[in-house]
Amino acid sequence: MRFFWAMVLAALTWATPPSTSGPASQTGNQARDPEGLREANRVLEEEIRLAAHPQIYLLLNLPDRSIVIKGRGIELRRLPISAWQAIEERAMVGVFRLRARPQVARPKAAPLDDPAQDPIELKDMPVAYELLFDPTLAVTVAPPFQDRPWLWAMGLMRDSWTKTVSWIRSTAAPDENASSPCLRLTLSVEAAQSLAWSVTDGMPLVIRRTTPQ
Amino acid sequence: MKCFPSLPLLVLVGILLLPASHLRAPSEAEGNVAGLESHKQTDASESSRLVARHVALQHQLAQQAPAGHYIVVDTARNRLSIIRRQEVLLTALASTGSGTILNDPDRPGTRWIFDTPRGEFTIQSKLTNPIWVKPDWAFLEEGLGIPADAEQRLEPGVLGDYALGFGKGYFIHGTLYARLLGQNVTHGCIRLNDDDLQRVYQLSKVGTTVMIF
Repeated sequence: MRFFWAMVLAALTWATPPSTSGPASQTGNQARDPEGLREANRVLEEEIRLAAHPQIYLLLNLPDRSIVIKGRGIELRRLPISAWQAIEERAMVGVFRLRARPQVARPKAAPLDDPAQDPIELKDMPVAYELLFDPTLAVTVAPPFQDRPWLWAMGLMRDSWTKTVSWIRSTAAPDENASSPCLRLTLSVEAAQSLAWSVTDGMPLVIRRTTPQ
Repeated sequence: MKCFPSLPLLVLVGILLLPASHLRAPSEAEGNVAGLESHKQTDASESSRLVARHVALQHQLAQQAPAGHYIVVDTARNRLSIIRRQEVLLTALASTGSGTILNDPDRPGTRWIFDTPRGEFTIQSKLTNPIWVKPDWAFLEEGLGIPADAEQRLEPGVLGDYALGFGKGYFIHGTLYARLLGQNVTHGCIRLNDDDLQRVYQLSKVGTTVMIF
């Protein structure tokens, strides 16, 4: 029982968003922040490589708290992140590719059915889900507590479990190559559904990380 | 018996201490005034180099954007826009794929998923007074047999005055069902009303980029 409460306490401590109290935008500070500039330049280099090909990609900008859907370097849509937390943020370097987009139950049409009768709409998309990428990266998406308390709590428990497993693994075998970065994003219902809608299998993702101030 | 009387406390303290590992140690130059001045100069030149690199990379990324007009389709919100540089020339209500599945009752394993494809495409053809060549699924949907005679597949007057092909049989075209614009009701094509279709036809040429997300 004592252990249970310890875990609850740990989860709540973990759930307080230290990362979210970071700078809302680093653009103003960039000129005086060499680390921020190095990170911004690294992301731009990755983006230039992605934008050279005919594809849509995601830029997850943690300092700006936004997810940007882009093509050819052009911003197509921006989704705000309410809050986020990361494990092994330093390992979130390079291009990640989405293994599979979130599952959605597709309506089945039958001969003589009206195709306009039961289409998939944005509101049919999930609001709490996990996106798995290669190389290993897990991004969990959950709505804010006030929107869907139950889903928020479920996401928190799943996230705490992932962190615990990650911590145990890194303690048992401290191997640099065995890193398993995780990101928990709190998105509004509309942003979560829009992201689930817009991602496609194999979609590239680049992450701009925060830098120590 | 209390084996671990302060386990929750230990867990909490451990978790609270974890972020401290990210803190950077103070620079060795601190406390040494001469060293600090030299360090500041090095920092300043490094910062200028990083800023110059940043500007160059931003410029390089901007070069990846299409040179002329390009079309952006938001399938979640059913909007089509034509943009040149950063100027939005047209925003139109559209209808995109319904996401439904149609199984062929006569050929088990054969099915169609009515999604609008996502990614980057180019306009490959521009047609006036297009005639729809009905695919197999159109007959199945109507509960009809698939005709052997190709002429029986031709259906004029249902695609509007223009059609712009962007590959694999997908078109931007008109509709008889303008009341359904703004909804995901199509078999994958992008429908527009007559006026918007005419404007898209006028502003586009073969080779115009189409970004769909």
